[in-house]
Amino acid sequence: MAEFLTAKELAIKVSICLVVLAVVMSLCALFPRSVGTQKISWTKAFAGPGQKPGENIDYEILVRVRLPRVILAALVGAALACSGVVLQAILRNPLADPYILGISSGAGLGVIIAILSGISWSFLGGSPIGIFAFAGALITVWLVWYIGHFTGKSQVTSLLLAGVVVNAFFSAVIMFLTSIAKSEQLRSTIYWLMGNITEKDSAVLLVSAVCILAGIIGLFSICHRLNISTLGEYEAKGLGVDTAKTRVIAFAFAAFITSIAVSLSGLIGFVGLIVPHGVRLVFGPDHRQLLPISAIIGGIFLVIADTLARTVFGQEQLPVGVITAIAGGPFFLILLAKYSRKVSWLK
Amino acid sequence: MNAFIEVENLNFGYTPQNTILKDISFEVIQGRFLAIAGPNGAGKTTLLNLLCGLLRPKAGCIRIDGAPVESYSVKKLAQKVAVVRQEFVPVFDFTVAQMVSMARTPYLGTFGFEDKTDKQMVNEALEATDTAQFALRALGSLSGGERQRVFIARALAANSPVLLLDEPTSFLDLKHQVGIYDLLKTAQFEKGKTIVAITHDINLAAQYCDEILVLGADGNYHIGETKDVLSPEQIEKVFGVRTFVGRLGREKFFIPLGKFAKDSGQIAGKSHNIRHE
Repeated sequence: MAEFLTAKELAIKVSICLVVLAVVMSLCALFPRSVGTQKISWTKAFAGPGQKPGENIDYEILVRVRLPRVILAALVGAALACSGVVLQAILRNPLADPYILGISSGAGLGVIIAILSGISWSFLGGSPIGIFAFAGALITVWLVWYIGHFTGKSQVTSLLLAGVVVNAFFSAVIMFLTSIAKSEQLRSTIYWLMGNITEKDSAVLLVSAVCILAGIIGLFSICHRLNISTLGEYEAKGLGVDTAKTRVIAFAFAAFITSIAVSLSGLIGFVGLIVPHGVRLVFGPDHRQLLPISAIIGGIFLVIADTLARTVFGQEQLPVGVITAIAGGPFFLILLAKYSRKVSWLK
Repeated sequence: MNAFIEVENLNFGYTPQNTILKDISFEVIQGRFLAIAGPNGAGKTTLLNLLCGLLRPKAGCIRIDGAPVESYSVKKLAQKVAVVRQEFVPVFDFTVAQMVSMARTPYLGTFGFEDKTDKQMVNEALEATDTAQFALRALGSLSGGERQRVFIARALAANSPVLLLDEPTSFLDLKHQVGIYDLLKTAQFEKGKTIVAITHDINLAAQYCDEILVLGADGNYHIGETKDVLSPEQIEKVFGVRTFVGRLGREKFFIPLGKFAKDSGQIAGKSHNIRHE
């Protein structure tokens, strides 16, 4: 007899993963006690804000620095992992990641323009760099989508090709602009390109959280159609799924949440590629559970990676993208070795 | 009996200049089994893609259950017509049960979870095709014949009145070829399915199908009862191959005769007249 994924079973799995995420976020917010120059006292931190704002410095660090930072890491991790899941499905390509369709180079170009032009205004508490990254990413995705549709009948291939071409072109423009930039501008650009999670204004965090969660819920509603889209256009139509429509919805939501993630934290590689694969190896390819579980695991992964990034070198913080690549690669190989044996036994 | 599939003056070509299918008209009565045969490039798969709404005719009309194909939404058409293409391995490692469950997509709600009826349909289809034993295995880990049975299970789970199949037995050994056609014939008899299958095997068509549509490379076509349409003359005209015809009881069988067939000269010369009762 066949086994079916039920809503109840999924709710249980997601709840367990959410508990793990909450535990990891709490631990990473509380530990290690001293980071940078400040050592926090838990007793004082849990005592509350005190009479006047800013009176209890330990509380302020926990609530205004540590907590927003782990929330930000969880949000960015979730967005990148979901985007990876969805792009791998609609492009029917296991090598797809959130940046495959030009988001990285578009956002990078936006950031360089913001840095080189020395713009200093902000919008809704967001930095000009973040806003330019967001705009650059969305404009590039639209461009790739337009070129992909304009050029080919086989939309998946032409989209991929358009993404590669636009990425290459914009990367060349980025290299040109960095080569003429001043050294201090160059440093902040390169740091941004490596991916970096820093504290954000609470309004920015709230707006981003609402947008990312809405995007993930939107993507979850098309998960059963994504399953079928992975079989190709003809198969999908025979099963009652309009792949073109599904692709537009999936692409729009994925581009939106990735652009938000990129504008918050720069280019953090590897999360959107290995988290979906890792979760798929353990839980299988059914997107109805692959997407929500990948979102949570992506969050957990980035929270841990960010904690390592800010602690392993003591005073000096590493870009989190370095940790995700260094830690994620071997972790993924272990998963692959363990589960590919199981799969080859099946074969 | 009602005509479930009606094709009227169908014309189609991939470019404005060329026309692959010219003025084709036929109908398939509900619960009948139609084979489509013809040489490579005659437009068999194109015709199948037109029947399932993937392509739009240049001229003419195709009606399924009384309504033009283009009037159905993708979802509604999938509830009427299930399609089985040549077996393939999907990009991601879906299990057999997951693959068969996909047939229920046109009936699912917003978040796509199967209800009791969906589960029952899937389990019945797995039992009918003898694939329940593989339910939890990855589709990619099965042999070609087993995979094709899974795709037929998926078509049965869709519970649609029409089954369209594109060469369901290509790449399969004799046992599996017969097994697949037995399955289809059972679905026709027990569930009253209207079946259209493209095949290159005229012997299987002669044995299992009620009617046959023979598409020629020149755009001509013949349709009728299998026993009437399949003749050595017709086969030689359409495929350019001489055949030896025998009889096994009331069933005709055909052996194509190549240049190096034993005694081909002798047999080929008389082949049209040889009848073994």
